[in-house]
Amino acid sequence: MMNLTRRAALFGATATAVIPALATTSVRAAAPAAGKQAPGFYRYKIGDIEVTVVTDGVARGKLMQNFVTNVKEEEVKDALAAAHKDREIFDNTFTPVVLNTGGKLVLIDTGTGEANFAASKGTAGQFTNNLTAAGLSAAAIDTVIISHYHGDHMNGLLKADNSLAFPNAEILVPAKEHNYWMDDGEMSRAPKGRIEGLFKNSRRVFSGDVLKRLRTYEWDKEVVPGVTAFGTPGHSPGHTSLLVSSGASKVYVQGDVTHVPYLFARNPGWHAFYDQDAAMAEATRRKVYDMLVADKMMVQGFHYPFPAHAYIEKAGNGYREVMVPWNAAI
Amino acid sequence: MIQLTRRDLLVGTAATTAALSMGLTPSELRAATPLAGKQAPGFYRYKVGDFEVTQIADGARTFPMPDTFVINQKKDDALAAAEAAYMPKGQVTIPFNPMVINTGSKLVVIDTGNGLGAFEQSKGVVGQMNANMTAAGIDPKAVDIVLISHFHGDHMNGLKRADGSQVYPNAEIKVPAVEWAFWADEANASKANGFNKPNFPNVKKAFDGLADKVTKFEWDKEVAPGITAIGAPGHTPGHTAFAVQSGSGKLLVQSDVTNIPALFVRNPDWHVAFDNDPVVAQATRHKFYDMAAAEKAPVAGYHFSFPSVGHVEKDGKGYRLVPVAWQPSI
Repeated sequence: MMNLTRRAALFGATATAVIPALATTSVRAAAPAAGKQAPGFYRYKIGDIEVTVVTDGVARGKLMQNFVTNVKEEEVKDALAAAHKDREIFDNTFTPVVLNTGGKLVLIDTGTGEANFAASKGTAGQFTNNLTAAGLSAAAIDTVIISHYHGDHMNGLLKADNSLAFPNAEILVPAKEHNYWMDDGEMSRAPKGRIEGLFKNSRRVFSGDVLKRLRTYEWDKEVVPGVTAFGTPGHSPGHTSLLVSSGASKVYVQGDVTHVPYLFARNPGWHAFYDQDAAMAEATRRKVYDMLVADKMMVQGFHYPFPAHAYIEKAGNGYREVMVPWNAAI
Repeated sequence: MIQLTRRDLLVGTAATTAALSMGLTPSELRAATPLAGKQAPGFYRYKVGDFEVTQIADGARTFPMPDTFVINQKKDDALAAAEAAYMPKGQVTIPFNPMVINTGSKLVVIDTGNGLGAFEQSKGVVGQMNANMTAAGIDPKAVDIVLISHFHGDHMNGLKRADGSQVYPNAEIKVPAVEWAFWADEANASKANGFNKPNFPNVKKAFDGLADKVTKFEWDKEVAPGITAIGAPGHTPGHTAFAVQSGSGKLLVQSDVTNIPALFVRNPDWHVAFDNDPVVAQATRHKFYDMAAAEKAPVAGYHFSFPSVGHVEKDGKGYRLVPVAWQPSI
């Protein structure tokens, strides 16, 4: 009766079994596969604030060498396998959030941008499509808050034709981050390659109409009602996290304090190559995650698996994320 | 450029004037965006080999934990486990997640949710399967086979609408032969525990008039293309899990091998009040998860949090469910 221990009985040994009574159904056409994921949005409340998590999609590719600069590649692959992922493949997911706070729509980070939808064959650059699926329009966004000047967080300010993606929005950026990337002296001292590219991209995006709508914000201040900025530097010089609070509820929108949790929350001492000042980023990471654990505060992580909303617990030498259960109501 | 350091700047007259002079539409003059107040459609797609699986949310019930929810543990311990899993204090949440598998030739539903009658009674809290199937573009009339894992109402009441008409008029309804034999004979009420004893009339009602639609299947047989029935008794006498295989893709459908993972995957020796024979159910649980771990097959769980599929790994004396990372593209 119980064949739970016999592998053969479970998988693959039953192709000869006969499926009876197909007469009524076999004449009907087979239903085609849908081939499409569900719309990528998810809602929850923070007090009176309604959050809509909107995925921008995923960049899926072979794990790059030196992805983690201070451990061996095999260790990284082992960690991927331990997370039940393909050990050779890295999934980089992007998850902006929209807040409806007192009738104002506030977007935190933009995703990789509309142009990337075609470039990625639709796997990323999905933000606008998913925003529409959520019943919101880009024109209705009142404020865009940027956490830092990496392309996956701010390239979406521009459409494919370089016009404004959010034509009615103010664009709020961390003063420290803005000043760094706009400083000609810093640019002249920047190492060639990636950092040089980030300077160029920042100056490409933050020009023209974007600059006209731009205002800088300071750390430790309320940026818009219910959203306070905290300096979490290291990943970039002015990298910022945003604490959203309403009534007794709080969520810490961490930006890139960690990248994917199954590598970098689990191993806070690992240095992702994208951390510009790796030692500072690690110190920031430990400080923020110790706070999240102590305060039992939920985190919203840009590179967490969608809907990217989790509790954080201590585990081993690092931390473990516990995804907040999907709520079928809101 | 304006330094945004004071909240007043955002909402005051000065800001409006400044915004106008910058060519912005002042957000004060634009209509407030109403709260959406609605969750995203509850479906999620992934591939198992060539098969396309759609997990469907039927909703979730949250209620004060009954004194005998876990019959062989102190209530305080059960409450502590629920609270450690971030459930509201004193409460327990049970989600319901049926699924649809498109094998390419057949459209197969596994379990039906609480039904449209329950949708009305619960004011939409449960019984969402039909609405979410529609959102997923799946027509119940196109379903070829409905597999029922066992005869509890949350798994089979969705076969009929509140008026008794059939939800899947073109489907063959396939049920475990052992389960059918048990519930068909009301003399077996003497072998049922407190939870299961009152279920006999509901089984009769659910299958009344469906005799020509129902076929009974044996364990270890293929019940639909690539889907094999696995005996997993204890929860009920004929309780059935399923092994799904297409190419090298594998999936185990556990049905109710455990109820909510936070309590019963973590503590496989805890006996939930719904298990008719808790000792047999406990043995089934261990065998099933040891097999899932050995097969490295993901497990779909009817009472896991949506999208209700993950990997089960050994953790101390019990197991841990690691939910799959949501894929924005399939």
